[in-house]
Amino acid sequence: MIEAEFAGYQVQTEFFEGPLDLLLHLIRKNKMNIVEVRLSQITAEYLSYLESKKGINPSRESEFLMTAATLIYIKSRSLLPKPENPAEESPEKQLIHTLIEYEKIQKISRMLQDMEYTELLLWRRLEIDENFTNREYALKEVSAFQLAEIFFDIVKKKENQQFLYISSKNYSIAEKQDEILSLLESAGFLDFSEFVSKLDSIEEIVVSFFTLLEMIKRHLLVAVQEQLFGTISIYKNEAGKLDN
Amino acid sequence: MNPEQMTRQIALIEAILFVSKEPVEPGRIMEFLGIKDIEEFEKVLTTMEKEYLQERAERGLLLKRTGGGLQLVTKPDLYDELKAFFTIKQSTKLTIASLETLSIISYRQPATLAEISDMRGVNSTGPVKNLLQKKLIKITGRKKVPGLPALYATTQEFLVYFGLNDLSQLPSLEELTELFEEKEQPSLFK
Repeated sequence: MIEAEFAGYQVQTEFFEGPLDLLLHLIRKNKMNIVEVRLSQITAEYLSYLESKKGINPSRESEFLMTAATLIYIKSRSLLPKPENPAEESPEKQLIHTLIEYEKIQKISRMLQDMEYTELLLWRRLEIDENFTNREYALKEVSAFQLAEIFFDIVKKKENQQFLYISSKNYSIAEKQDEILSLLESAGFLDFSEFVSKLDSIEEIVVSFFTLLEMIKRHLLVAVQEQLFGTISIYKNEAGKLDN
Repeated sequence: MNPEQMTRQIALIEAILFVSKEPVEPGRIMEFLGIKDIEEFEKVLTTMEKEYLQERAERGLLLKRTGGGLQLVTKPDLYDELKAFFTIKQSTKLTIASLETLSIISYRQPATLAEISDMRGVNSTGPVKNLLQKKLIKITGRKKVPGLPALYATTQEFLVYFGLNDLSQLPSLEELTELFEEKEQPSLFK
């Protein structure tokens, strides 16, 4: 039962991850040594694979076509006598180097897949959703970089706005912290984008953002993103309060 | 530490791990238990691990060191029954594309999307997004080249997901080559 569910790293004959996967498959099939392989010898096989696919979707399979072009170029070079320029790296050498590196990646992938298999046999808390139908690994806390990305978006928008008055107010992190805490006290949570976009000036946005980062760092707050590219909500970290 | 103290501390650690959703940092537990000497703490942990494996071998839990923390997990041979109890059809697994992308990031981190796509020979936007969503990778900064592309690195969740305690537990590229050569050797003499 388990075996059927976690079949090993599959080298499927009809599906390839990309042109490099297909080339490695052909090299193995022809029992060639990757270091000494003459790519011109497998060019025909590569092309016949592409032909056998009915209709190529250019947006999805353009990489296959690009490698086909490189292979044909390599073959044409090998047919034409040309003084070799030792300083220049030949396209064949480049492609073989890429293939050797890609072979390593496949090995690492196989190792990771074995590790994933071993770990999936163990169950941890909270991996199961409320409906008991899915078992997926997911944590929601966001990183400072995600916050920063949203922050810069908002600053950009604000830069284009005309402010009606010039504020000479000085903002302090301590004041902002009290303000954020009282907002959280009444609302329960803050929508990060909404909160920042309501502020008056760039200075205030910057100070508020630093305050938020500082408070998250001190575990007073947590920033949570419900889904990828969704809005970020700020909550009070009840557990963190004990630590401080 | 006398045996009674040790039993008490093991009981406490077990209770803390039972209640915690995520791996608990050993340092936090050490501090809480007032253990200053790391070797002493290590002794408590090994005793505990041994109990799970020997005296309580027929029970359902294991102590696991993962992602730099401690966690209680179920035993692997209970997998099928657990799946049946929770009526789970399928455990979500990573696709080959995602595994390849993770391979590159875990060994070259931090890496950009362009570097990943180059090495795989295919556009890797999809798997990178998928891995970000699963929190197995994160953005650690921007590369100082035109376009300031995002740099990706693996996360603590990555370690937990693959049962690693830290990144140094991944075999080096040389070890990996040997590992696979050993596996593939017999076929040469067929």
